[in-house]
Amino acid sequence: MATSRRQNSQRLTLLILVLASITAITLDYRGPASSAIGSVRNSARDAVAPIQRGLSALFRPVGDFFAGAVNYGAVVSANAQLRNEVGQLRRQALENAGAEQQLNELLSVQHLPFLQNSKTVVAEVVSSSSSNFALTVEIDRGRADGVGPGMPVVSGAGLIGTVVSAGSTTSLVRLITDPDSHIGVRLPDGTIAVADGQGLGEPLSLADITSSAPRPKKGQLVVTSGLQGATFPAGLPVGTVSAVKTSGGALTRQVEMEPVASLSNLQYVDVIQWLPAP
Amino acid sequence: MTLRVWRRLFVVGFVVVLLQVCALQQLVFLGAHPDIFLLMAVCAGLVAGPQLGALVGFVVGLVADIFMPTPYGLSALCYVLVAFGVGLVRPLQGDRAPHLFQVATGFVGSIGGTLLYEVLMALLGQPHLPRAELVDVVVVVSVANAILAVPAVWALRWIFALPGRRLGRQVAPAHGPLR
Repeated sequence: MATSRRQNSQRLTLLILVLASITAITLDYRGPASSAIGSVRNSARDAVAPIQRGLSALFRPVGDFFAGAVNYGAVVSANAQLRNEVGQLRRQALENAGAEQQLNELLSVQHLPFLQNSKTVVAEVVSSSSSNFALTVEIDRGRADGVGPGMPVVSGAGLIGTVVSAGSTTSLVRLITDPDSHIGVRLPDGTIAVADGQGLGEPLSLADITSSAPRPKKGQLVVTSGLQGATFPAGLPVGTVSAVKTSGGALTRQVEMEPVASLSNLQYVDVIQWLPAP
Repeated sequence: MTLRVWRRLFVVGFVVVLLQVCALQQLVFLGAHPDIFLLMAVCAGLVAGPQLGALVGFVVGLVADIFMPTPYGLSALCYVLVAFGVGLVRPLQGDRAPHLFQVATGFVGSIGGTLLYEVLMALLGQPHLPRAELVDVVVVVSVANAILAVPAVWALRWIFALPGRRLGRQVAPAHGPLR
């Protein structure tokens, strides 16, 4: 009798707590409480940011040590490859200097959105995502610094993500490899596609490339399309084509690309103060 | 729960938030980091039983959700179910070594909790992790939580003012933690 009563009490508690959780999820999705929850989250991030910054210097080397210990061979190989690429890029930069000037003049004549017209805010990455189920990073700049939701974030090499929420002094950036990330991109031949994130360490997948379009080549640079209503300005480097597969009879090609920016160990990033047209 | 238990829960919760958000989050290994929020829910079920464990799991989940980019309430739902499930298997400890049982529960409970979280994400239409990445997350979270299980149980015993005796030798009251 007592056991039965205890079991009933346990089940009732479980039911109430499950319903309360589902209510919270529903409110976050649809209710007016959604913005209040967002404000609480931003305030909480702002509150712990100073401690995070302080401890980050202490714990990041420990994390790097473990990562380096496991991937030592890959790190050495990547280092050699990067040295080689730095040399190549220096040469290319010199070659491209003249072409870039011409491009700037053409774009300004045609009134196209261009990155150089937008201001940027330099930010430091203070933390990786608090959830293992979302690829986000937290940066130490927020609304007080002119950072807002929807702004693109780049590192030295190219696009790394977009600001999804901004507190007073911190912001959350969703990385382009997050499965919830979808970017309008343009290939060198003018083909328009959508680059979908597939998770950490996975290449981006280019959707909607028909077999009739020119076959992309490995190593080709893919940039943001900047079409009307796009969430990114045109011309931001996103990645390079790494694989092209066409199955027999298929109407579309499977194209994959590696991000140009290294997303594994971000420290400093630039937030572009650019927002899509309403 | 008494006011003293709530007060201690607040203190431990605050320390757990600082530990997770400011320290453990930086220790990224195989692309994942330890999840002490989940561990607290697992250990709450182990220490306080299904009913009270689920309540503690709910509170810990609501706090954790403040710092997560995922839907608010999702962690709370997951932790309630995990803590309740762990509370139900608590009698299995019997005469087994308490520390070994705590480590094993932390390990298995974290595997279950991580997989349950993935399932709930999919049910809510949220983007879910690729299989290889999910395996990495499960491995990192379960191993790290197994290592941290003993101090987590100790902290929860302190919350409920329980003596540091073997759980299996004590008799649980009908409605509440072991005393």
